[in-house]
Amino acid sequence: MSRTSPEQSRRIQIIFILLLIAILVALPQVIKSDSTINLAVYVLLFVSLASSWNILGGFSGQTNLGHAAFFGAGALTTRMLWLSGWNLFPSLLAGGLVAVALALLIGVPAFRLRGVYFAIGTLALSQILYITVGNMLPMISSLPAQDLAVYQLAPRYYLFLAIALFTIGAGYALINSRLGLGIMAVREEEDAAESLGVSALKHKLVALALSAFFGGLTGGAFAFYHVGYYPQLTFGPEWTFDALMMVYIGGMGTIVGPIIGAVFFVILRELLALNLAEMHLIVFGTLFILVVLFLPGGFMGVWGKISKALARQQ
Amino acid sequence: MLKIENINAFYGDLQALWGISFEVNEGELVALVGPNGAGKTTTLRVISGLLKPRAGNVRLDNRDLGKEDAHKIVELGISQVLEGGKVFTAMSVLENLELGAFVGRARKVRDETIKWVYHIFPRLEERKTQRAGTLSGGERQMLAIGRALMAKPKVLLLDEPSFGLAPILVEQMFEMITEINKQGVTVLLVEQNVRAALELTNRAYVIENGRIVGQGTGDDLLSFESIRSAYLGDCNA
Repeated sequence: MSRTSPEQSRRIQIIFILLLIAILVALPQVIKSDSTINLAVYVLLFVSLASSWNILGGFSGQTNLGHAAFFGAGALTTRMLWLSGWNLFPSLLAGGLVAVALALLIGVPAFRLRGVYFAIGTLALSQILYITVGNMLPMISSLPAQDLAVYQLAPRYYLFLAIALFTIGAGYALINSRLGLGIMAVREEEDAAESLGVSALKHKLVALALSAFFGGLTGGAFAFYHVGYYPQLTFGPEWTFDALMMVYIGGMGTIVGPIIGAVFFVILRELLALNLAEMHLIVFGTLFILVVLFLPGGFMGVWGKISKALARQQ
Repeated sequence: MLKIENINAFYGDLQALWGISFEVNEGELVALVGPNGAGKTTTLRVISGLLKPRAGNVRLDNRDLGKEDAHKIVELGISQVLEGGKVFTAMSVLENLELGAFVGRARKVRDETIKWVYHIFPRLEERKTQRAGTLSGGERQMLAIGRALMAKPKVLLLDEPSFGLAPILVEQMFEMITEINKQGVTVLLVEQNVRAALELTNRAYVIENGRIVGQGTGDDLLSFESIRSAYLGDCNA
């Protein structure tokens, strides 16, 4: 049996990725069922959200328990600007930037301290926003009638697809850059990284800002997608913890892990919700515990072990 | 070149260093010896900026390093090899070395420096594609030193490079350190292996309970009575 060279396997990978993107682009043209496209929208939303959480949580090793704050800030900003007459893209960009500002507000003080302060700080921030937004904006935010009349699903789907690709691409570019190398060095050994000239604070803040930016963009896409929702919804803790679980299940600190985790999670949840209603929460809770205990690398970790074992047998 | 003046350092409320002063001249190989818990590692952490002293100065070529962060101090020319090496186990040997040349000044000459490091530690070249986590203890220590050299330091701080190594490897390690020093790198070495360190160095300082209690040439200290009885297990001294 002839073995594939690294260049060959790289070429196969690229062809596979392009094929996958082509299928995703063609999807709304081929499938006319709205419920399937809606499911695909949720898959792409969570691919972006999990991948953006992973930029900070996976690559830099900082546990963010308040990603919903960034998702929500992006959603709220984009929704308000867009409904007030701004064009979509400046509104989205503003949403991402507001999320970054919020992230730096918590990151600059919290990263000066080591330990659990950042995790607690982000959790507190997102819960404060959840409650405050619930109090200040208690009314449902609906699209005006003239927008509803021309509402189309396909452009929403393409926006989510673009943001997912953008987020994944940014993560890939990051880990192959000097900046990404520094970020991962800080994750591995903070003192050792500092003693090589890597500023731990700066690299954590860069990872945080990128993570928040893409979380905010994803929120903005949600605001463009949804016909009517309570603004508080986008700040709910489930956005944080669903994304976090997807990353753990798929494989933290990898590019592919969050994607697999999100696809697996959303589709399984859809199947379970149809048959078990709220019981799916128990299933995911149990699954999460099992993965953390027995598969610390998630699905990607298992895949790594299998391919290593196969290589040894050859 | 490197001057430490009246350093007081604390861990929380616990004072670890009491008015430490000493200096290292350009090109020297100086040892800081003493028992476990004397403050050797703490002293290195103060010099490299990982621990901020509450009083006193650290000067490199007359520049005060007191306010600088650890990563900035590397740029100014001091690299520390942490106790136990602390290599990035998930990365390859080569990636570890490349990370060593992170600061701008060192990055420009990275490829040349790698050749130099491979010349000092040929073992690292043999293992360059291997994950650092698969290296032996001695190889990890070599990698940690090689990684620190990649930053092209003026002063290299070594924390217990012999720790956990087999006796034969300790000897080799010290030969390599002498070689690095001969190539123009000023070295401050912290060691519990007092005899080996004193045989190796130009000068040494003895630290106990956070205070400098003795200094001299390696040979002087080796014949120093209290040193012989305290550290060298020499009951006849």
